[in-house]
Amino acid sequence: MRVGVDTGGTFTDFVYAARDGRLSIFKLASTPDDPARAIAEGLRRIAAETGAARVNDLEIVHGTTVGTNALLQRRGARAALVTTAGFEDVLAIGRQARPALYDLDAERPEAIIPRALRFGVRERVAATGEVLEALDEGALAGLVERLRRARVESVAICLLFSFVRPEHEKLIARALESLCVPLSVSHEILPEYREFERTSTVAINAYLQPLLGAYLKKLSAPGLRVMQSSGGSISAGRAAREPVRTILSGPAGGVVGALNAALAAGSTDIITFDMGGTSTDVSLCAGGRMRTTNEATVAALPVAVPVLDIHTVGAGGGSIARVDAGGSLRVGPESAGASPGPAAYGRGTLPTVTDANLVLGRFGGAGLLGGDFALDERRAHDALAGLAREMGAASGRRTTAHEAALGVVRVVNAGMERALRVVSVERGFDSRAFALVSFGGAGGLHAVALAASLRIPRVIVPRRPGALSALGALASDVVLDASRTVMLDAAGGRLDELERAFRQMERAARAALKREGFADERRTQRHARSVAARYRGQSFELEIEWKSAAKLAAAFHRAHLARYGYAEPESAVEVVSARLRSRGLVAKLKRERVAQSANASVVAPHHSALVYFTIKPARVGVYARDDLRAGARLKTPCIVTEYSATTLVPAGTHAHIDADGNLIIEL
Amino acid sequence: MKRQPPDFDPVTLEICRALYTSVAEEMGIALRRTAHSPNIKERRDYSCAVFDAAGRVVAQGDHMPVHLGSMPMAVAAALNETHIAPGDVIALNDPFAGGTHLPDVTLVAGVFARSRRAPLFYVANRAHHADIGGGSPGSMGMAADVYGEGLRIPPVHLVRGGRVNEDVMRLLLANVRGADERRADFAAQTGALQTGATRLLEIVARAGAREAVSYAAHLINYSARMMRAAIKEIPDGVYEAEDALDDDGVASDAPCVLRVRVCIEGARARVDFTGSAAQVAGPVNAVEAITVSAVAYVFRCLLGAGEVPASAGLMEPIEVHAPRGTIVNALPPAPVAGGNVETSQRIVDVLFKALARALPGRIPAASQGTMNNLTIGGVDARNGREFAYYETVAGGMGARPAHDGLSAVHTHMTNSLNTPIEALEYAYPLRVREYAIRANSGGAGKRRGGHGVVREIETLSDARMSLLADRRRLAPYGLAGGADGRAGQDSIVRVDEGGRARARRINAKGSWELKAGDRVRIETPGGGGHGKKV
Repeated sequence: MRVGVDTGGTFTDFVYAARDGRLSIFKLASTPDDPARAIAEGLRRIAAETGAARVNDLEIVHGTTVGTNALLQRRGARAALVTTAGFEDVLAIGRQARPALYDLDAERPEAIIPRALRFGVRERVAATGEVLEALDEGALAGLVERLRRARVESVAICLLFSFVRPEHEKLIARALESLCVPLSVSHEILPEYREFERTSTVAINAYLQPLLGAYLKKLSAPGLRVMQSSGGSISAGRAAREPVRTILSGPAGGVVGALNAALAAGSTDIITFDMGGTSTDVSLCAGGRMRTTNEATVAALPVAVPVLDIHTVGAGGGSIARVDAGGSLRVGPESAGASPGPAAYGRGTLPTVTDANLVLGRFGGAGLLGGDFALDERRAHDALAGLAREMGAASGRRTTAHEAALGVVRVVNAGMERALRVVSVERGFDSRAFALVSFGGAGGLHAVALAASLRIPRVIVPRRPGALSALGALASDVVLDASRTVMLDAAGGRLDELERAFRQMERAARAALKREGFADERRTQRHARSVAARYRGQSFELEIEWKSAAKLAAAFHRAHLARYGYAEPESAVEVVSARLRSRGLVAKLKRERVAQSANASVVAPHHSALVYFTIKPARVGVYARDDLRAGARLKTPCIVTEYSATTLVPAGTHAHIDADGNLIIEL
Repeated sequence: MKRQPPDFDPVTLEICRALYTSVAEEMGIALRRTAHSPNIKERRDYSCAVFDAAGRVVAQGDHMPVHLGSMPMAVAAALNETHIAPGDVIALNDPFAGGTHLPDVTLVAGVFARSRRAPLFYVANRAHHADIGGGSPGSMGMAADVYGEGLRIPPVHLVRGGRVNEDVMRLLLANVRGADERRADFAAQTGALQTGATRLLEIVARAGAREAVSYAAHLINYSARMMRAAIKEIPDGVYEAEDALDDDGVASDAPCVLRVRVCIEGARARVDFTGSAAQVAGPVNAVEAITVSAVAYVFRCLLGAGEVPASAGLMEPIEVHAPRGTIVNALPPAPVAGGNVETSQRIVDVLFKALARALPGRIPAASQGTMNNLTIGGVDARNGREFAYYETVAGGMGARPAHDGLSAVHTHMTNSLNTPIEALEYAYPLRVREYAIRANSGGAGKRRGGHGVVREIETLSDARMSLLADRRRLAPYGLAGGADGRAGQDSIVRVDEGGRARARRINAKGSWELKAGDRVRIETPGGGGHGKKV
C-alpha cells in the first residue's frame, strides 16, 4: 500500500491508492510543533481503514517542510565548518553584495555557522589538482578535540578545489568519525566549483542533519521516502544524510502532481501556477519533463544542488492593496497572511486580493472550504471603498469600490503574468505552446485571465487541486542526482575524461538504486546524462542533454540562440560539469475510474450568482465541482466551486470535465 | 480656477511601472549571462535602461548606482552626434561626452515600431570591459591624462542596419588587450539591447503605442512626485559638510577636499559643490555625470526600500551645481579612471554627512568609501595568453542609527560581486592566499561599523599590478559620537632568498611590477560607528 503525505502550514494531506487504483484522500490539521504527530495519526487511520496489519507495511512518500522551516526560522543545529585555513569567512562574505541597493536599513542574516564554529586547517590544492600544501594529519587530533569541546552537533567539511582532489576532505572526514556526529562532506554532496555556493550548500546540509535525522527517525516507517526539491524522492536514510536536497520538498510535490495530471490530460508542455495566500509559485515543464536549476536560493542562501526551477513571487490572495505617495496602486508585498487575514475574514480592515475577488462576486456566493468558512462581504466592500477613495484622490477621477476591485485584480494579474513570463518567454519558450495548470487556493480565480494575456490556449485545473502535492509525492520516482566539475574544452581531445566521469557516476548510481530496491537495472533504472556548458570565457552555464561529443557544440549553439537570441558558432564551447540524473522507476498508479456523465450535453449549473467580469455585472451559473461527472460540458461564463478552490471561467471559452476528472478550459 | 487632474489611471501606472522596470532587469540578466569580461559576468558591473523618445530615462535596472544619473547623458550624446536608424547600435565611452571612465562602454539603440520612422523608445546598456587599452592592463592605472588611460570612443556606429560596422570594430579591437573577449562582450551587449527592444515592442503591441508612450511619461512624473514627497520630509534649511580623498596619487600627499552645501526648501533641493578642490593631476577626477549619479543615489536612498523607478523624474526636483574645472566636474584632458570608482564614493560620503545634520535618525555613518580597485595583468606563463584581472574588494558598511553596519559588503555606488576563488584560479595565473573579514576594523559605537576585508593574491607569472583605492589615511567617519572605522592598508609580500616572507607597505594609488611568487595584500577600511558606545 502506497501513501503520499504532504505537510502544509494548515493541513497535512494524505493520499493512498487502494488495490483497485481508487484514490482516497483526507486532510488532518497540521501539528507545527511536531509535524510527526499528525502524520502518525493519519497513518494509523489509513492502516485501520485498509486493514493493513501494521503501519510498518505502508510504503510512504513524504513532502516535508521541516528543513525549510528550520532554515527560515534559523532553528538548525549547532553545526561547525572545517575549511581551508585563510578562508574561514567565505561563508560569511558570500559574494560581497549587499541585500538591497537603496535601502539604508537593509539587514543581512548572520551566517548559519558563526565564526567561532568555523575552523581552518592548513592545506591547499590547486585548480590542477596539484597538492600545494599537504594536509598535516598529525594536526587533526587537535581539531577533533576543539570540535568536541565546542559541543558541535554536526560538521560540514568544504576545502578549496576538493572536487578536483578529494583526498584531504576524506582524511578529515575519517578523523572526525570519532566525534559521532553527522558529517557533510563537500566532494560527496556537491563536487562542483564556486566555493561560496558549495560551502553554503554543505553548511545548510550540516545545519539540518540532526533535525531532519531525528524527525525521520521519529516517523520510523521502514518504507519511508522523502520528496526532494528536484522532483524525485529518496529513501529516508539518504534524506537524513543529505537534507539539503529536501528543502523545497512540498512545492516539488505540487509540480510533480500537476505534471502527472497534465500528462493524463494529453499536455506535455505546461506551466504550473500555484497561487496561495502570501506567495505564488510558478514553474515550467517541457516535453513532459520538469526543469531543475543549480542556482536556487532559499532563505537568502544559495543551494547549488538541483532544485526544480520554481519562480516565487510575494503576491497571493492575502496581498494588501494601497495607493502610494506617487499615486500608483500597489498590491503586496505586504500580506495580511492568515492573521488578521483579508478584511473578509472578519478581523482585518485592509483591502486584499481576496477582498477584491469577493466584492466582484467571484466566489459565486459560496464561502471558503466548501462553505465551512464564511466570508464577510460587507467588510470587504468597505475596505475596497476606502481604496477607491485613495485612488480617486490620486487620479482626480471618481472611482467606485468595484472599479478599485477590478484594478486590484489587474495589478495582481500583471505581477503573476511577469512571473509566468520569467519561466517561459525569458527562458526561451513560447507560451502559446503551453497549457497552464492551476492549483492552490487562489489560482483558479486568476488562471484563465493570465492564460489569455499570455495567449496560452488551455487551462487545466486538476481534480483535487488541494491535494496535488501529496499526490505528486505518491507518484514520484526515486531520483539520484550526481555531478562533477570537469572543466574541459568540448573540441579538445580530453572528452574521454568526461566519459570516465559519467561511467563512474553511473556505476555508483546503479549500486545506490539497487540498494533502494531497484534491482532490475534494465527495467527499473534510467540514467540521463547532461553537461553544464558555456562559451569559454562566460560564467554561466546552460544545461545540455549529452548525446555525444560530436553533437555537443551544435546543441549548445542552438540552446544559446533560444535562450539569448544569438549564438557564437566560432567560439569554443567549454564543458564545465558532468551531470547524471538517475531514476528508479516506481510502478505507475492505476488510472482512476471517474464517474461518467450520462450524456455529453451541457449540464445545468447548481445555482447562479451576480459576477463582475467587467464593471457591468452579469448573472452567471455556479457549478459545484463535486457534482460534475467526466464528460460534462459547462455553460460559460461560469464559476466552479470546490472544497479548496474556486475557478472563474469567462465567456468565450469552452470548459469541460475530462475522463480523469480534470477541469479543462480551452481559450 | 479648477485644478487640472493628473491624467492617469493608478492601475495602468502600476502595471507600467513594473513592466518597464522588468524590461531593464531582463536586459541585465541577458547581459550578465552571456558576457565574457569577469567585470560584467561575475561582478555585474553594468547597467541597463529604457529611455523615451526624448532620451529621458523611463526605468533603469537595479544595477550600478554609479550609472544612475549618467546613462541619460550617454544617450543624449548619442542622439546629438549621430542619427540612430533601425538596426543601428551606437557605442561610446568618452567621459567628457556622456561616459564615466573609459572601461565603461555604453551601447545605445532605438526601438522602432514597424510603421514608424521615428523611434518610440531607446534602450541602452553600459558595461565595464576588462580592458580598453592605455598604459596599464585593465585600463585602471595611473595616467597623466585621459589619453593615457585608454581608447576614447565618441558616439560611433558599432552596428549599422543590423550589420557590425567592421571598420569601427577593427579599430577598437586593435587598441585593446584581449580582442576576442572584447568582441564577445560587444556581442553580449548588443544581444541584451535586442532583448530590451523585443520586450518593449511586445508592450507596444499590447497596449498600443499611444498608451505605452504616455505611461512612460507618467512614470517619469511619478518618480518626481515620489522624490518631492521624500524631500518634503527633510526639514527646510542649509546643510553643509566637508570630506576629502587622501590624495590624488600623483602630485602630492595633500587631501583633495570636497565641499557641499545642500539647501532644502519645501519639495526642492539644491546641491552645490562650490568650494571643492580644483581638478587634479592624478586620476581621481569625476566628470559631471558621476557627480549627478552620486546625488541621485543619495536622494534615491531617502525614498526608502520601495520600488520607485530610477527615471528622469527622480532628479526633477533636485538641482546640482558642480563648478567646472573642479574634482567634481573635471574638464578634458584630466585623467578620470578613479572618478567613477573612488571620488563618486566620497561625494556620497560628503552628502550624507551634510544630510545627517538634517536627518540624524536616518543617515548612516561613512562606509568604506572606496572600491579598492585592483588590476593584475601580463602574459600567462602557462599558455602565453595575455590576461587582465580586475576586481574591486568589499569593505565595512557604516553603522546605521538602528543597526550595526554590515561587514564585507560593497557599499553605495557599487554592488559588484567578487570573483569566486575557484573561478579566478581557473582563469588566471593567480592564487588567492587569504580571503577573510578584517577583524575589529569597524568603528565602535552604540551601533558598530561593519568590518572590512583582507584579500591576498599571489601572482604565478610576472605581472604588472595597479591599485586605485582610498580611505588609507582619512578614515571613514563615525556619526553621533561613534568612532571612525579603521583606514585601509596595502602591501606587497615578497619571499626573500632565505624563504622569509617580507611585507612592504605600498601607496593605495600606483602601479608596480610583480615577480612570480609576489603577493598583493589588500586590507579594506571598516565602516564608521554610530552613537556613543555605552
